[in-house]
Amino acid sequence: MESLDPRVSRLNIDENASLSPKAPLDQFGTFEVFVQLKEGKQYKHEGAVHAPNRDMAFIFAKEQFSRRLMCSGLFVVDTRNVFVTEYTEDTVNVYEKVADNADAQGEAQEFEFFHLMKRGKQHEHIGSIEAQSAEQALVMAKSEFINSDKPIYNVWVVKTNDILFSSEEDKVIWNTLPEKKFRDAIAYKAADKVKAFKIRQHK
Amino acid sequence: MYGGGNTFESAKFEGLENEDPQKLAEFEARIERGEKIEPSDWMPKLYRKQLIRMIEQHAHSEIIGALPEGTWITRAPGFKRKLALMAKVQDEVGHAQLLYSAAETLGKPREAMIDDLITGKSKYSNIFNYPAFTWADSCFISWLVDAGAIVNQLANARGSYGPYCRALDRICAEESFHLKYGHHCVIHMATGSEKQREMMQAAINRWWGPMMHFFGPPDKVSVHTEVLMKWKVKMASNDDCRNQFLDMYVPKIWELGLTIPDPNLKKNEDTGRWEYTEPDWEEFKRVINGDGPCNKERLAVRRTAEERGAWVRKALLAPKTEYVAPLA
Amino acid sequence: MNQTALKELLYKIADDQLILGHRNSEWTGMGPLLEEDIAFSSMAQDKVGQSHAIYQILHEIGEGEPDQVAFMRNAEQFHNCQMVELPNGEYDFSLMRHFLYDTAEAIRFDMLTKSSYEPLALLAKKIQGELRYHTMHAKTWIKQLGTATEESKSRLQTSFNELFPYALGMFEQSPYENDIIADGIFPGEEALKEKWMARVEEIIGQTDLKMPEVSEAKLGGRKGEHTEYLQPLLDEMSEVFKIDPTADW
Repeated sequence: MESLDPRVSRLNIDENASLSPKAPLDQFGTFEVFVQLKEGKQYKHEGAVHAPNRDMAFIFAKEQFSRRLMCSGLFVVDTRNVFVTEYTEDTVNVYEKVADNADAQGEAQEFEFFHLMKRGKQHEHIGSIEAQSAEQALVMAKSEFINSDKPIYNVWVVKTNDILFSSEEDKVIWNTLPEKKFRDAIAYKAADKVKAFKIRQHK
Repeated sequence: MYGGGNTFESAKFEGLENEDPQKLAEFEARIERGEKIEPSDWMPKLYRKQLIRMIEQHAHSEIIGALPEGTWITRAPGFKRKLALMAKVQDEVGHAQLLYSAAETLGKPREAMIDDLITGKSKYSNIFNYPAFTWADSCFISWLVDAGAIVNQLANARGSYGPYCRALDRICAEESFHLKYGHHCVIHMATGSEKQREMMQAAINRWWGPMMHFFGPPDKVSVHTEVLMKWKVKMASNDDCRNQFLDMYVPKIWELGLTIPDPNLKKNEDTGRWEYTEPDWEEFKRVINGDGPCNKERLAVRRTAEERGAWVRKALLAPKTEYVAPLA
Repeated sequence: MNQTALKELLYKIADDQLILGHRNSEWTGMGPLLEEDIAFSSMAQDKVGQSHAIYQILHEIGEGEPDQVAFMRNAEQFHNCQMVELPNGEYDFSLMRHFLYDTAEAIRFDMLTKSSYEPLALLAKKIQGELRYHTMHAKTWIKQLGTATEESKSRLQTSFNELFPYALGMFEQSPYENDIIADGIFPGEEALKEKWMARVEEIIGQTDLKMPEVSEAKLGGRKGEHTEYLQPLLDEMSEVFKIDPTADW
């Protein structure tokens, strides 16, 4: 195929090749991505990436979610490992719907909590609790959050071990934005050129 | 980058009589209060269907939109342009990724959407079926097509579906540099050498028709549209978006001494609306249905990218991957 | 400090970065999956940005403007190694080249953080974050695809074998090697090659891939001898720029 795009022409694509759908299951699972915009700030949910595993999810999430905004840390977790409560609305705090006790077996481990404080916004990291299950962790959190000033509409609970955190050792990777002025609107001022042009036109 | 118009065309209006009236009332009240709908909330079938359709088309428009500008990635003149164009086209791919994720939360897997794209089943913004002949065409796209898209996207960002609004907020923030970069390019062309100026004018002449098409045909008022507006799926009429675009950008084009190939184009100061020659809607229909200058190429390139990447995905796919939709 | 020697060093690093960044940008919009498309483009931008920074240093010591230097020279005036100018091939080839090149690049700049030539040492420190991500990305991919399916392993191995002599060409010695080392600007290509080899062997050792047989390095790039692929790449890159090289685009 002769294209205006030399990159395309080099591929020798057959424009008329038959259209065949992709193989079924040609799809990676998703990982939820949480980003910390600044040292000391809470991690916030930013979106998801498709990836075959945590390591790849991290590599992908780094560029998809931190290339344009300041960022000082990132973590990813398999979507399937997020325990989600129901959603409430208006003035209803979701912890009102949490039971007063939960069955629990086995060893206690750490769970991370994420709250949704406003519909339409992102879930934010709140802290962690040691418990034997996500359900039990919720029960334990209930007393602390049931009387919060603002209603909490939804909670995500994730086993800390299921999360891949950015490492201290690789911290340097977050330190690259100042070099990328070409991605900033501010780098494209041209009012002077327009002004000079108008003056030339009037002569 | 995405325009309106082709989104709601052929969808049949499904009656709401099968929906639970109480749930429907709660749903509508929530939207009325200005609260967002989240993925696991109850929603009418029509709402889900139309949103998937709209977000999916938007995502396709981003990924296909990377191609006409991508034409000039390897030829951008000078470091500043080279870096900016690489970053801009990358953003379009990134936006597709965000939008596919948002659509996925409604239950349609990304691969199913990409399948529908490469088999020609679903649509994308018509404007990307036109060729970018010269560098000036890429300047036009970066500035004005992005500007048109932002008019649409800002409107849609006030919509009711949480994941779509969040994706749009991020997209609009990222695209602010696109617009400035594009304008910067056009200013340099228009105020540069005679040759540059000619190139720029020729590009405007080529792209004006598709640009007017970009916002879609004049809206017909129907019950269907009213419902979608009440549910905050459709946020602004095609004509309003077009008018807003003309209002914001025509003066900026004229100020550079460039002309627009429509002798009837002028603002009616009494009504505040722009008057213009109706673009050729027959052509719009023809191109959207596959018969544009670049439809075949765009899909062929996308298909080839999928095919060439298949072994990579196959190699890393765990044997038993159970797919679940992303959360928010 | 030997200026000729310094400039030779700067040109070859900058030319490598520019040409490979340009090649890698050909994947933008056509990558094997959306997320990787984005990651690979970022790294291409980093490379082009880094080349610009080095041309800027060259400009400050008397060479032409970065745009003129990058867009107006012919192939024989370029000092990049031949590996970076080869066509992209399939993703295995591009990925393997990325791994081989970026591993060397990261070590090179790490060495340069201690350079006696301050502007270079400063730049090397500034881009550490970018380079760390590049090697993290390369290593992760090579480990994953290098242990996955028969197809992925054999594709990577074939590309590895094909690229290896070109990769050795990265370390082609400069006629000023001794001056560069004596002046403390850079510890030299031989030292770099040794560290690179150890690092590559270490990562390949964690996969099912094998180090290729030792072969003769493809040399010449540093002296301006190139494959048939470089000139067309440059023609394409400068197509618009050359419509009017004095114009402000």
